[in-house]
Amino acid sequence: MKTIQDFMKSAIHLKIIKFYHENQASIDTPRGIATWVNEERAVVKNALEDLVKLKVLVAHRSTSTTGYSYTRDKKIVARIGRLLT
Amino acid sequence: MEEEKINSHAYHQELFNRLRKSVNLQKEEECFGCYIKSTLWWLLEKTKPKIPDLKKLISNSCSCLKNRVSKRRSKCLGILADAINKAAANRTIVKFSCPEGLNGFVHPIMQGDKLYGYIGSCYTGREIPSELLDIFASYTNTIVTEVQKELELSKLYETLRPRAIALSTVHTVHRLIGSTLNLNELLPRIARLSLQIMRANRCSIKLIDAKKKVLLPKATIDLRQKKARLKKVKVGKHAPGKAVKLGRPIRGADYLATPLIDEDVIGVITIYDKVDGKPFTAFDQEIMSTLAEQAVIAIKNAQLYKEQEKLTVGSIKSLAAVLDRRKPGTYVPRASFVRITLAMGQDLHMDSDTLKSLEYASILHDAGEIVVPDEVLTKPSKLTGKEYDMVKEHPAAGVEIIKHIKALKSVIPIILYHHENYDGTGYPKGLKKDRIPLSARIMAIVSAFEAMITNRPYRVSKNINEAISEIAKNAGTQFDPKLVDVFLKVMRRKDIRQVLENELRARSAEDAA
Repeated sequence: MKTIQDFMKSAIHLKIIKFYHENQASIDTPRGIATWVNEERAVVKNALEDLVKLKVLVAHRSTSTTGYSYTRDKKIVARIGRLLT
Repeated sequence: MEEEKINSHAYHQELFNRLRKSVNLQKEEECFGCYIKSTLWWLLEKTKPKIPDLKKLISNSCSCLKNRVSKRRSKCLGILADAINKAAANRTIVKFSCPEGLNGFVHPIMQGDKLYGYIGSCYTGREIPSELLDIFASYTNTIVTEVQKELELSKLYETLRPRAIALSTVHTVHRLIGSTLNLNELLPRIARLSLQIMRANRCSIKLIDAKKKVLLPKATIDLRQKKARLKKVKVGKHAPGKAVKLGRPIRGADYLATPLIDEDVIGVITIYDKVDGKPFTAFDQEIMSTLAEQAVIAIKNAQLYKEQEKLTVGSIKSLAAVLDRRKPGTYVPRASFVRITLAMGQDLHMDSDTLKSLEYASILHDAGEIVVPDEVLTKPSKLTGKEYDMVKEHPAAGVEIIKHIKALKSVIPIILYHHENYDGTGYPKGLKKDRIPLSARIMAIVSAFEAMITNRPYRVSKNINEAISEIAKNAGTQFDPKLVDVFLKVMRRKDIRQVLENELRARSAEDAA
């Protein structure tokens, strides 16, 4: 299984992680995140799901859309903080 | 005012940082420097510099100043200060000559009328023609304007981006909470999303009671505790009660109570304890107020939907009661049948809308019997062919009754086909196997079971076990064998059997009395 470090080697995953680390209160759809990180929606959607599996993100699913938010796990947030610096 | 001053100072500093890094300005210095033989260019951030500032600015770079005695150095700095003052007063480029016989100039850096500092050159070996200075001034102004625009754009981006992200978050939350009409699902969802946005540890949503005196806890999520406390709060008491009474947010260091206001206050969302331990801010209050505005719409919609649903179920039950009265001597244990039907649907992982349709159908599946004459329904002997044809019309008649009720649209195929047999020998269309809708195949089993354990004018009812065996016996012919397995599994459940037996026993006792 891939780790957070592994995913941070991918530019798109890194961009998403950075975005959420800088905007920890954000909840957004794949379309919204695609705008913030300036990438294609489909690619962003897959990356978001990868990060949900890693528990870096939380998925809020409803019938019409899925909103993704940053983890509330302090250890994961701190680890990402260290990796980003 | 203080904040404005800080911002202005930061802008000033950033402007000069960018000017120092400006490639265009460096090129300009190279070009003009090449012609005027200048070896010293400087940027001065202060609008009213003092002599020590000037000394610091050029003394270390100006080779002639370095070598001169302090008297001549002071004179040189004095000339420069005069030129700067003149440039500031006239808002124009000013030339000067130093005691060493060298030349220089000072150009004010401005935006509109506002002076930010100066750009200048010393130690120029050549007399600088005024025309050239005009070109220099004009080109420098263009560069400064460009840098100022860049700076403003970047400031705008920094200001707008977090707001755009917050707005996008609010929009996503709106979509997430607007997609459910189930209040039991909606309120915890609002609480969870509020916690996420506020990065807080606890959220409680309370709705006001009918008398508008007490706030009833409806959803509480505490991320630090597995079980959250559910407490009633009197209107006017504590932060949530005060927020409701006053109709405005109540903010403390570790709590933020935001009233849910429609035409009137309907409740309150209270957030407690930020994860980072910081106090709630005015910005948090603004975001929570926006979220509360959206939450209240979603809550009102869900409440209206619930009311409408109650009304629909009420009408269905009334209709079922009327139908029951037409079958003297029979009693249909509706609650048990609804339960069996729903249990089968749940076992098949049907979604909530389909389950709802099944529930309504289990109450209404024989609504069409209203068109069958009493003497046929209550006939104790075998029906004639013509009479049986009348009975066979009841599914279509049932559809006629409910088709005008929009909420029951999805119930139509269940009612219409619940007398179809799996082998195609049923009515009204003689559909086979999977061509019969799944819900209608479920209803066929449950309604047959219901008929068997209910007394009819023409026969005595079977007991529960006999009826179950009969259903099992007809798997693959009258009933879908896979669904019969599900039915048998459901009927093995103690809770289901218990409710059915209790319901039948209560009715027997009532009859005996």
